[in-house]
Amino acid sequence: MLKVEDRGRALYSISAVGNMVGLPVATLRTWEDRYALVVPDRNDSGHRLYSRDQVEQLRFIRTRMAQGLSAADAHRLLAEQLGDGLPITAQAGQARLLILLVEPDPYAAEYQEYFLKTEGFEVEMAFDEEAARRSFEEKSPSLAMIELLVSGGSGLSLCRYVKESGGVPVVAVSVLECRDQAIEAGADAFLLKPLDPLQFVSTARDLLGSSSFLHEPPGALA
Amino acid sequence: MNQRLSSGHEPLDSVLGGGLPANAINLIMGRPGSGKTILAQQYVFRNATAERPAIYFATVSEPLEKIIRFGQSLDFFDRTAIGTSVFYEDLGAKVSQHGLTGVTEQITTAIKERRPGLIVIDSFKALHAFADSHAEFRGFLHELSGRLGAFPVASLWVGEYEDAEIGSMPEFAVADAILDLTTARSGQRDLRFLEVRKLRGSGFRSGLHAYRLTADGMHLFPRLADAPIDEEYPQSDVRASSGIPALDDMLEDGYWPGASTLLAGPSGSGKTLLGLHFIFNGARQGEPGVIATLQENETQLERVAGGFGWSLNEPNIEVMYRSPVDIHIDEWAYELLQAVKRTGARRILIDSVTDIRAAASDATRFREFCYSLMQRFARQGVSIVMTFEIPDLFGAERLSDDAVSPLSDNVVMLSYLKDDGSIKRTISVIKTRASQHDPAIRQFLIGRDGIALA
Repeated sequence: MLKVEDRGRALYSISAVGNMVGLPVATLRTWEDRYALVVPDRNDSGHRLYSRDQVEQLRFIRTRMAQGLSAADAHRLLAEQLGDGLPITAQAGQARLLILLVEPDPYAAEYQEYFLKTEGFEVEMAFDEEAARRSFEEKSPSLAMIELLVSGGSGLSLCRYVKESGGVPVVAVSVLECRDQAIEAGADAFLLKPLDPLQFVSTARDLLGSSSFLHEPPGALA
Repeated sequence: MNQRLSSGHEPLDSVLGGGLPANAINLIMGRPGSGKTILAQQYVFRNATAERPAIYFATVSEPLEKIIRFGQSLDFFDRTAIGTSVFYEDLGAKVSQHGLTGVTEQITTAIKERRPGLIVIDSFKALHAFADSHAEFRGFLHELSGRLGAFPVASLWVGEYEDAEIGSMPEFAVADAILDLTTARSGQRDLRFLEVRKLRGSGFRSGLHAYRLTADGMHLFPRLADAPIDEEYPQSDVRASSGIPALDDMLEDGYWPGASTLLAGPSGSGKTLLGLHFIFNGARQGEPGVIATLQENETQLERVAGGFGWSLNEPNIEVMYRSPVDIHIDEWAYELLQAVKRTGARRILIDSVTDIRAAASDATRFREFCYSLMQRFARQGVSIVMTFEIPDLFGAERLSDDAVSPLSDNVVMLSYLKDDGSIKRTISVIKTRASQHDPAIRQFLIGRDGIALA
């Protein structure tokens, strides 16, 4: 295991890093130029040398992309995590909480999926009531976010179904001011559309706990 | 961000019933030079925060650099906000290379990455050129409005639209609010007006509202057009002297407080002097007065007043001189209302209402303006006398075509009389409201103490 003080020291050549994280060398160079976030040191001959931290950062990006984020979004997320002082290595490759997102509006669904994924959640999308019921039974999500106007207004019955079937937290969302009906139907929270991304994500966090991961991160670096 | 988007200028917000709707598509239309970009930037800098920034997208109408360069001359332009809470982005290259799809993509990416509270697209109308068909533009509009509607963001779509395009261009149907910046020709000058053409989910003040563009942004003067208020208000029983005892007798002991009085007469007949009697009489009894003059400037007026033993420097006298050149009647009215509030004035002389009529766009506007002003002062118990010039030297056949005399509580007529080879002045009370006036025509002289009835 590396000592903590060694983690920031430049150690690895670009070809070694490419092998370690499973990315072409050209991609690493392109990202370095385009995003200027993971920038290796250069030795006297001008060769790139990456630190262990930077390898972890690249792994983080790669994992996020495998989960559906674009390279730009993954870099932005990394920058945010670094800015917040969050450990980068801890989040790669872990099993994450699954949220069932029932949203008939494709534009709203796109934003909601994006904001949940950038916060580390897995997202299962459903655009109608039938797909939502199927996903709920097959995927066993940890939380359901249900737009009440789905399938012509079946959201309330879907809330009841989810609560009665699995007991997982339900967030009802709607452009209609129908908080009381939603709560009566079993929803744990109600959000009025259009959804503020901060409020939206923090509601999910509040209902699931602060972490978007199933397990605590391992304490030591592999 | 609040449910209303403030312009930072209260009169504009009040015309909009509290501000533009947040989380909505707002369209600003107007000809080149009408101030659309200035107004859009006013909203940007007023509302942008680091958490919910504003993004200004320039399309292909005006280069982004030019917008920023001229924007810097505005007082509200905050250089430190650029890159933190205000972002300027060029959409021109994207739309040129990738068409309208590129526009949607760039805006969607910006929404995801920056999470803005406000988006400006300037010029939106220019995007029409990148659609091969009407159907393609409608499709683009549908997707863009869907994406904007799915996120809590207000957008301002700015464009050089003509009036006739409101019915033909689909963005007007999509927009939740439409602000129209227009100009109207008056003599040799252009007057600027803002009109709210549409505002979903909110009341607003209709009609044309005059505005000026300054380094502070838009300064709006909401159209003074008060609806009748069916509420009683306290009225004093102590009458206000005209400053001329004999005239007070004709009026049955002066004017009622809060009354509006028209002093009508031909040029040189003594209208201004009659008004000064009223103001200085009040001032010397402890009732502050405002002389709102569009005729003589302060120096000229001081000379006139000095000839009768008065001075504009006396306590309780406030002079509000405004040139009748390039005047907006609503701007003038708000300044007068402010002066009255500041000084606690109980009496006002408007010299002359003829100049106000000349600056009003039409007779209807003039009538509603006078009605609103008179009503506001009546409710405050502030008495107004207004000079009004009539062309007839020797007995007027009628007072005016503009109905200012029917609106006034009292009308005092000055005139000339040919008498034995000389011209003499006469005064008569044509009308009083809630009084029994003396209908006599009295001759008067102007001496060192002012007007003296014969």
